[in-house]
Amino acid sequence: MGLGLVESGKMPKPLTKLLNISRKYSLWVYQWGLACCAIEMAAALAAPRYDVMRLGVIPLPASPRQADLMIVSGTVTDKMAPAIRRLWEQMPDPKYVISMGSCANCGGPYWDSYSVTKGVDQVIPVDVYVPGCPPRPEALLEGIVLLQERILNEDPAERWKGDPLVVA
Amino acid sequence: MTRLSSPDAPTEAPDQAADETEEAPAVDELRDGVVARLAELLGDGLVEHHVAAGQDMWIRVTSDAWAVTAETLRNVLGARYFCFLSAIDWKPSPFGRYLDAEVDTIVHGATAKEPEPQQTGVTGGEARFQVLARVANVRDHWGITIKADATPDDAPRVPTWTRVYAGADWHEREAWEMFGITFEGHPHLRHIYLPSEFEGYPLRKDFPLISRMVKPWPGIVDVEPMPTVDEPEGDTPPAAENAPDGGDPE
Repeated sequence: MGLGLVESGKMPKPLTKLLNISRKYSLWVYQWGLACCAIEMAAALAAPRYDVMRLGVIPLPASPRQADLMIVSGTVTDKMAPAIRRLWEQMPDPKYVISMGSCANCGGPYWDSYSVTKGVDQVIPVDVYVPGCPPRPEALLEGIVLLQERILNEDPAERWKGDPLVVA
Repeated sequence: MTRLSSPDAPTEAPDQAADETEEAPAVDELRDGVVARLAELLGDGLVEHHVAAGQDMWIRVTSDAWAVTAETLRNVLGARYFCFLSAIDWKPSPFGRYLDAEVDTIVHGATAKEPEPQQTGVTGGEARFQVLARVANVRDHWGITIKADATPDDAPRVPTWTRVYAGADWHEREAWEMFGITFEGHPHLRHIYLPSEFEGYPLRKDFPLISRMVKPWPGIVDVEPMPTVDEPEGDTPPAAENAPDGGDPE
């Protein structure tokens, strides 16, 4: 990206800003609709009432390899967790994760279950947590806007500095 | 109406039958006939039966006769529709439910209760684990719930139904992983819902929820105790607390 400018960390600030704006407004979303939160996510992502595309968020990429953002909405079970981890690994950097709803945040009402993972952040790093059970579509949109602000003010070089992400 | 393994069903069913004499005759020739035929075909295999006239029927068979019962029902009596197969752990939970659990009584300040005596619902039973299944004859419009004790308690086992009803395959796998009941002759008993390395049988009553052991339900601590209702004597209908349908079978 950026002819090695980003990686070198010597990219001029205005160019960084420009790059961040374009990244911010072309978030391709990979969806994990695992429980009832998926209904709210569908309302936010696919329905005209909330129209997530006006934020530059594009739902339904064909594969995680085309995605920038992953929304985990719903109950993550121990059986599903390895699949989430694996598909998250397949997403190209820079990648972001939104955890939507109490279940994905911490296990939610199923915190004491024998089968439910106590938060998707035990498996993958999460950028934005959207609380609620389930959160309204507006809450998810706010989470997306929050993430976009973060992307805007981000130094892309940070993502390439240091050790590469090592997969456990 | 289908009532499954609820201990109050036998007492309730005759009352309903009396109330609705037009719809539910006191003598149910269809179901009595099926049960009589089963008793004849299964012999000693049929331990107990219960018919709610005009509604439903239950039988309990010995675990040895479990597979034969399926064959008889499907091939002789024409119950070709396999509804489900599952299991029950009748053990009163040592961890209790909610207010009975020790971790919860600490929070609530209530005293721990003695575990209730074991009950085994309609058509009874001696063992801790029972398998139950339901099949139906959709042509003659009857369904039947079949139960059997799975013994011994520490390693319960019953014969498989998969040779009779192919659909029982996944049901038996689920009953196996949730209750630890071995279905002898099942082609591949392996985990179906749980991760393959899962240890233990989570729907057994003595399966501990470790999270709850470590930390009681956090939601209760910042909730004030419910105010006690001081109602004048005689106003409360006594049936409200002991409604037959309100409580759980245990």
